[in-house]
Amino acid sequence: MHKNSYSRPVYIHAAAALGPHGDSTRSERRVLHGDPPPLELKELVKTIVGAPLRQASHLVELAAIGSQLCLKRLPYAVPENTALYLGTGLAEVRKNEAVFRQVMPPGPGMASPFDFINAANNMAAFYVAKLGGLRARNLTVTQAELSFEWALHLAAADLRSGEYRQALVGGVDENSHPRANHLRRITLRPDQPMGEGCGWLVLSVAAEQACGELLEVRHLARGTDLVPALHAALAAWRRPDEPLTLLPGFCIEPAESARLAQALPELQVQDYLTLCGGFHSAAAFGLAAVFDAPAAAGLYVHLNRDLTGHVMLTGVRVLPP
Amino acid sequence: MSAIQIRGLGLVSSYGMGVACAVEGMRAARTGITPLTLFSLPFQDQIQVNQFDHAPFPPGAAGATAVIEAAVQEALTEAQLTRNGLQDAALVLGTSSFLFAGEAEYRHRLAATGQAVMPVVSPPGQVALRVAADLGIEGPVLTLTTACSSSANALLVAAGLLRRGEARRALVIGIEGLSTIALNGFHSLMLLDPEGCRPFDAQRRGMQLGEAAGAVLLEAGDDAHGDRLLGGANLCDTHHMTSATPDGSAMRSVMEMALADAGLQPADVALIKAHGTGSLDNDTAEAAALRTLFGTELPPFTGIKRYLGHTLGACGAVELAAFLGCLRAGFVPPAAGFSRPDPALQIQPLTEFRPAPTGAVMLNFFGFGGNYASLLIAHD
Repeated sequence: MHKNSYSRPVYIHAAAALGPHGDSTRSERRVLHGDPPPLELKELVKTIVGAPLRQASHLVELAAIGSQLCLKRLPYAVPENTALYLGTGLAEVRKNEAVFRQVMPPGPGMASPFDFINAANNMAAFYVAKLGGLRARNLTVTQAELSFEWALHLAAADLRSGEYRQALVGGVDENSHPRANHLRRITLRPDQPMGEGCGWLVLSVAAEQACGELLEVRHLARGTDLVPALHAALAAWRRPDEPLTLLPGFCIEPAESARLAQALPELQVQDYLTLCGGFHSAAAFGLAAVFDAPAAAGLYVHLNRDLTGHVMLTGVRVLPP
Repeated sequence: MSAIQIRGLGLVSSYGMGVACAVEGMRAARTGITPLTLFSLPFQDQIQVNQFDHAPFPPGAAGATAVIEAAVQEALTEAQLTRNGLQDAALVLGTSSFLFAGEAEYRHRLAATGQAVMPVVSPPGQVALRVAADLGIEGPVLTLTTACSSSANALLVAAGLLRRGEARRALVIGIEGLSTIALNGFHSLMLLDPEGCRPFDAQRRGMQLGEAAGAVLLEAGDDAHGDRLLGGANLCDTHHMTSATPDGSAMRSVMEMALADAGLQPADVALIKAHGTGSLDNDTAEAAALRTLFGTELPPFTGIKRYLGHTLGACGAVELAAFLGCLRAGFVPPAAGFSRPDPALQIQPLTEFRPAPTGAVMLNFFGFGGNYASLLIAHD
């Protein structure tokens, strides 16, 4: 039986974001002018993971590189009893498609065993756990455009309740070329590049060695007016005179961001999607990338909505170094 | 965790529509094995499956949503709720993926138009949102895809939402359909037993796949009576993508964590529903875990995948609904398919019907990617 307060602070101890160019630092980030070319990750896997992942899918490679970067930035060895939460909107797009083509007519009719295994949507989380030496809770959340937010919410809840002291939380999605094929699965504006990548955060209940704080992941009912909702969240989260940045998620229209900025003049809008493109779990990239060194201290509020109108507001504080 | 009330169960399985159909089939020691008529397979080996009657449901991908809603309606009826009572509910869905629905849509379009157009496979999260919208659910909507432990984990996540007051009720759904892709894939891994599932049997050779939808309606409450979810746990066994740590230590760990979460000791467990896939690796590891955790005090255990088939990501909700249905009807079904003890396992499951015991019941669910879940329920 848990004796929970659910109000325990949750700190961020490390972060890493991997973009569609294989970029993982502020100096490597590049604004996308159109869809990124297909990303080959074999060499980066060897560099970051230390060995090839021979049978791994592209999605697994993305998740493995991003999570390992994050764990390498952690100022101590990650404990085995660290829970893992992975959000992915589309999960194994390429492997699912490969298996489908193998099995269904006019394909050869037989599935490749490794493609079949890799088509399992939780295989990325398995690899991340194996590479990180994590033997604890391991949940893959595939909740459309809010997959990462829900993964983050579950992680924070388990830390606040005392079930775990530490968690690794990520969001990962892959694209598929050509764009017309990918657009069968995802809604993007014509001017919006199709993105891919991942973002990872190590969360902890310990304040020592924290680089940030996860304030809350707030679920808002459909139809909620965002201006008062944002005011209410800021009233709870913001410190006096703290710099404030809004990170609009990939389902937030530019006009809506502009309306919010007009209603809250102190708000700076940061469009991280120009760096990573649009994908279901892009929020993970956006929230992890605010920790790219040198990070600017302040309050970052991520806003996202799924296609049915559910809204998630996420508050993260980057602490001064 | 504080106990969560189980207010309603729903099931669509190879026995038909409803929990009662499955319970009566299992009480009659009749397995739900059916001929595979949905499609032909590209290999000649004979296999056993559990297929439900698709006639009442629309063809293609829409069928999956309709099957879910049939199971949900039964759970709501038991709980004496209408759709109006779900506004402040959460919906948590567990499935391995919706490839089966994409495949059904492909076949449907091919049959209707003669054109083999590869359909978009709806991501599971979108299916959950659609079902939630149909039911008027405005609370959290979440989908877990952790292979065969998906809907067991959905039960744990839903319990957490209720415990934290994030929803008044939670509807947990497990759904899985038969597909060429799954049958072909498991066949390529040599994990299908042509004789059907033989859990913990010396001659076991693998699984028997099935399709089903299960729905479980949960509510927070302090009532110490009735059917309750007492606790549970999930962890990742990183030994291998598709096989368990052979000594069962990871499976034992998740069972220990589940007991701790429920505030129970091994001696408090009156009955176990094993995962019992009938595969060599799984049953060896699960037997080792049970043996070392419970020792000489191992309570009776059974496996029910010969009855229902292995419904993969749905099995958490499906087997909870069917097994709890049996307990409510006053009996524990034996492990159908088991006949010859495996000396290497040193334990054997139930071979005869038993009266349903009082006390805690453990339910195990283990999946690819080392994703394990163990639940503790109470039945009064």
